[in-house]
Amino acid sequence: MAPLAPRTGDAVFANVERVNAELFTLTYGAIVRQLLTDLEEVEEVNKQLDQMGYNIGVRLIDEFLAKSGVSSCVDFRETADVIAKVGFKMFLGVTASVTNWDAEGTSCSLVLDDNPLVDFVELPDTCQGLYYCNILSGVIRGALEMVSMKTEVTWIRDMLHGDDAYELRVKLLKQVPEEYPYKDDE
Amino acid sequence: MGREVAESCVDGVIMEMVSAYCNRFYSSKPELAARRIEAIGFQVGHQLSERYTMERPRFSDHLEAIKFICKDFWSELFKKQIDNLKTNHRGTFVLQDNQFRWLTHISIDASPDNVEASQQDSSSPTSNNAAQFTSMHLYFPCGIIRGALTNLGIPCAVSADISNLPACSFVVRIKA
Amino acid sequence: MIVCVAVVGHENNPLYLQSFTEADDALKLHHIVHSSLDVIDERVNNPKKSGSTLNETFLGLLYPTENYKVYGYLTNTKVKLIMVMTDLDVKDADVRSFFRRFHAAYVDAVSNPFHVPGKTTTSKSFGQRVGSMVKSFGPGATA
Repeated sequence: MAPLAPRTGDAVFANVERVNAELFTLTYGAIVRQLLTDLEEVEEVNKQLDQMGYNIGVRLIDEFLAKSGVSSCVDFRETADVIAKVGFKMFLGVTASVTNWDAEGTSCSLVLDDNPLVDFVELPDTCQGLYYCNILSGVIRGALEMVSMKTEVTWIRDMLHGDDAYELRVKLLKQVPEEYPYKDDE
Repeated sequence: MGREVAESCVDGVIMEMVSAYCNRFYSSKPELAARRIEAIGFQVGHQLSERYTMERPRFSDHLEAIKFICKDFWSELFKKQIDNLKTNHRGTFVLQDNQFRWLTHISIDASPDNVEASQQDSSSPTSNNAAQFTSMHLYFPCGIIRGALTNLGIPCAVSADISNLPACSFVVRIKA
Repeated sequence: MIVCVAVVGHENNPLYLQSFTEADDALKLHHIVHSSLDVIDERVNNPKKSGSTLNETFLGLLYPTENYKVYGYLTNTKVKLIMVMTDLDVKDADVRSFFRRFHAAYVDAVSNPFHVPGKTTTSKSFGQRVGSMVKSFGPGATA
């Protein structure tokens, strides 16, 4: 069977198994709270959330490629667009916008004004250095590494710290030129 | 219609949490890892019971609250009800799910941490590791049930029995 | 006009208490809230005597004082919501609807992962949400 034509984020999201976002939101929140208790240092919690995200991203990429019909992206620019419009939508039900490209086309910002991880969340004063959504940056880094793109992902804006949006800076460090592995239905 | 996310988000986060606690933070102290995983579930259950009982009359006894867990609560989480509820009428309830979603969904091999751990320790067979990982996983739903019932005014202990996979029985013992 | 709202935990521990009057009657209002807790316990433990609908969360008018009306609501998790108002002529439906929204706001506040069960609610967004609910309360204000 030929690879499916890439679908819109809405169509893909409509076709995946979905659950109540509250379960996801509260589970993630409880994990963050427990990590803060057990690891004590906010820095260490940021690191572990990123690591958890990375491991998830490494696994989610297969599901993403299989269900989205996306088989290969021409360049990093297209990749960023696919993450924002299809990736975020397929998993979290929200879309991001891609902005602030640098001249070389190797780094850009993904901007979200809403995301289900932060529903109900108000950070206590003791958590000023916490990147609450750090799992997301890990997921992006992990997933992109599986399609041969080494990236660095950092937070620029965070509404939990009073900013007007969530902004992730994605910087392409190295790209191994190679065909993306894509899955065909046999 | 409330907000939704892909089920793989929930599966991924739970699997990674269990893996982090068992293989990274408390790899040599499984009982501590178990307690933390249970505590995370407890908080989730505590909060969910608050949300899911919002529009309903108060329960008049323990059985009514347990039935709520079996029906509405379970349906919200797993899109199905508990298949079988048994009780000894002395404070012990057994809630059986014939096809527990979180057991049929977890792919043990896929966790990078777990692969590492099993490679390092070649003396223990992988199936043993898998069984241990599965039982670690169950502390999370046990915590959810305990958190939900505790918040409904029913202090209890909850354990899981998986001798009949993929069926899973949750044993609730109400504290007198 | 609503002059005071409160959230009280299952061991009668105060979780949130806010009065909305310019006048210097905060103490008096707190006292009214405090006394209403006994009325709630009495009602819930003797449902027949008070004739209230079985186990409904909305408990209705707890007691009228000379200047105030006190209404109560008890959640499944044994949390008491109390509202004190000065209006004399209020529709039951309006009060019910207020409590539904008050309850929803409370549930969202305790869904914050950093909220500690049984501790006072310090959430800013909860305070704001309740404040605007109180302000907009009145005939015709409810959907």
